[in-house]
Amino acid sequence: MATEQHSQEGGVKHRHRHEGPQRHIVVFVFSVLLTLLAFAAVAAGGVNATFAVILLLVMAALQVVLQMGFWMHLKDKGHLLPIVFMLGGFFIAGTCIVMALYWVWWD
Amino acid sequence: MAQTAQSLNPARPPEAGHSVKRYTGLMDWITTVDHKKIAILYLWAGGFFFGIGGLEAILIRIQLIKPMNTFLDAQTFNELITMHGTTMIFLGVMPVIFALMNAVIPLQIGARDVAFPFLNALGFWTFLFGGLLLNLSWVMGGAPDAGWTSYTPLSSTTYSATHGVDFYTIGLQIAGLGTLIGGINFLATIITMRAPGMSYMRMPMFAWTTFITSAIILFAFPAITVGLVLLTFDRILEANFFNPATGGNPVLWQHIFWIFGHPEVYILILPAFGIISEVIPTFSRKRLFGYSSMVFATILIAFLGFMVWAHHMFTTGLGPVANALFSVSTMLIAVPTGIKIFNWLFTMWGGQVRFTTPNLFAVGFIPTFTMGGVTGVMLASAPADFQFHDTYFVVAHFHYVIVGGLVLGLFAGLHYWWPKMFGRMLSETLGKWTFWTFIIGFHLTFFVQHFLGLMGMQRRVFTYLPNQQFDTLNLVSTIGAGLMGVGMLIFLWNIFITSRKPADAADDPWEDGRTLEWTIPSPPPEYNFKQTPLVRGIDAFWKEKLAGHKSMTPSEPVGSIHMPSATILPFVMSVGIFIAGLGFMFSRDTFGSEVLSFLFNNYIVTGLGLVITFGSMLMRSLFDDHGWHIEPEELEGR
Repeated sequence: MATEQHSQEGGVKHRHRHEGPQRHIVVFVFSVLLTLLAFAAVAAGGVNATFAVILLLVMAALQVVLQMGFWMHLKDKGHLLPIVFMLGGFFIAGTCIVMALYWVWWD
Repeated sequence: MAQTAQSLNPARPPEAGHSVKRYTGLMDWITTVDHKKIAILYLWAGGFFFGIGGLEAILIRIQLIKPMNTFLDAQTFNELITMHGTTMIFLGVMPVIFALMNAVIPLQIGARDVAFPFLNALGFWTFLFGGLLLNLSWVMGGAPDAGWTSYTPLSSTTYSATHGVDFYTIGLQIAGLGTLIGGINFLATIITMRAPGMSYMRMPMFAWTTFITSAIILFAFPAITVGLVLLTFDRILEANFFNPATGGNPVLWQHIFWIFGHPEVYILILPAFGIISEVIPTFSRKRLFGYSSMVFATILIAFLGFMVWAHHMFTTGLGPVANALFSVSTMLIAVPTGIKIFNWLFTMWGGQVRFTTPNLFAVGFIPTFTMGGVTGVMLASAPADFQFHDTYFVVAHFHYVIVGGLVLGLFAGLHYWWPKMFGRMLSETLGKWTFWTFIIGFHLTFFVQHFLGLMGMQRRVFTYLPNQQFDTLNLVSTIGAGLMGVGMLIFLWNIFITSRKPADAADDPWEDGRTLEWTIPSPPPEYNFKQTPLVRGIDAFWKEKLAGHKSMTPSEPVGSIHMPSATILPFVMSVGIFIAGLGFMFSRDTFGSEVLSFLFNNYIVTGLGLVITFGSMLMRSLFDDHGWHIEPEELEGR
């Protein structure tokens, strides 16, 4: 198991095949659409404020996933450690946000 | 730089042969990017600050030797306790931890250097200049005096009108940059540069704890960075983050500080756990008991360490639900820590234990640290904490885990790896004297402080009234502190006489070395491994010894070795940040001289510092440095 693990990490560079630009273009267009939708939701005016905030947050989260997965390659093989560390970072940042909201902002 | 791991670089340009700049003397130390030399720099600088922090401790104890003492006034006392805590944690023990990591980790994982040698040097110099800036406060209008935790509003300009706390915020910011850089560097090194065959679960325990410690640094230091920025803005730019009169919240500082501060204590203790896990198996001639549970416990401690910060704040009024939750999560940490304690005991059980100096410190560590852990569980109980809070009981607790845990661990590690770092064995006789004076002095100093706390003596008071049952115990405590000082002096004497002996330590001076650092000369050549070794199991060298081999099986033929070039840029960049920090600190002051006012009030000094730093970065980016090579012929010639 031990050697497997090592070769897996060392060999990523060579096994990485180029996917061509199609997928990145699709993701890029989708990101732009999400951004436009976000602006439209607010600019249209007719949307309930609470709903707009939730919608924006959901779309923002989707953008983050797209950015991380495609542009920062987290969806590719051999990215377990970056994912673990990203999740660790989200966890600590989330802790700080909960702390600030629950004990400082609303207190 | 990452290709220092691989000795063969097929894309090597022909001209990169031997146009290598070699410096000597002081320039060699200022420009070095060699992890072994940076380790020694960290050790001397950390030792220097440790000495300052120790002197501050002695002064504190002299003031408290008898009731109503007038040796120090209250203001000086506050400055001393603040600087003692800050110096010891950020500038004393952390650099010594980094010294051992730098000296040992690349060797233990079979690498030729760390992943980013340039950053390694940068991390050291920013730490050093941050530390110097902080200590400049003594001669530039008074040291910080709001405690090492620097709680607001005490640390606000209303209650700390001098520049003391500015030295704290800016100095720690710069030093913290170095720590963050170091942490990231060790993460990258351990992830990418392990020798062939060394899977994660074959790494030595010290490499594991360094890895986890670096991860904690990566996640915890941003919190203090943000906190220090907010406090700096409050103090210098009149922001209101912690000012309740304008909608801020002083408790926010406590949250931010402890979200960093609690993981910080695991940053301190985990490397000590790693050192003990190396020393005890070596001197028991047995493999570490429960290796995988040790790894699991280390990860669990790191994870839980982020979820317990509010136990420092039980008395701020978080409410019973939060207090109960944080009580339970804190007590949970005792479980993985207990796993470790039992694993060390079971490692010694049935082993051929040799009580060399490193092992004495390691064996002394176990009960001492356990005592600190037990008082930790006592403090974790929120109702009891309302009694213990801000008394000497807390002081005794954290000195038991930091001094009785970390410092004993560092002593064990320094005695253990000294021959590898310097090629000379420290004297065993003097080492044992160090151990006995230090550990007896330690328990004399801090054991009695438990009872001082329980009887109601508050921490951070500069004196106390007679006949409250505090007199005798304080006297005992001060005598103990003196004895610890004697132990330190014996250690320094040991270093001094050892440095005058010939450097003749064997490759494996303890004869029972288990890990890769003992397979190469003491001190190692600048490229560490002539051929990267092949690792065939946990405790790689011990495994070869059992198979009857005298050395490791190489994993590559002898070839030319790629080395990073020495450079002065990290030093210059750190000088720039130092100047910028100093300039920013005094940017709102009124000066007697018009020139000075002009330079500081218009941020010209700050700008100059930043130009130096960013200019150096630009130089680094624009002028490629491909490093240099050591050829096989040279390797044979040596």
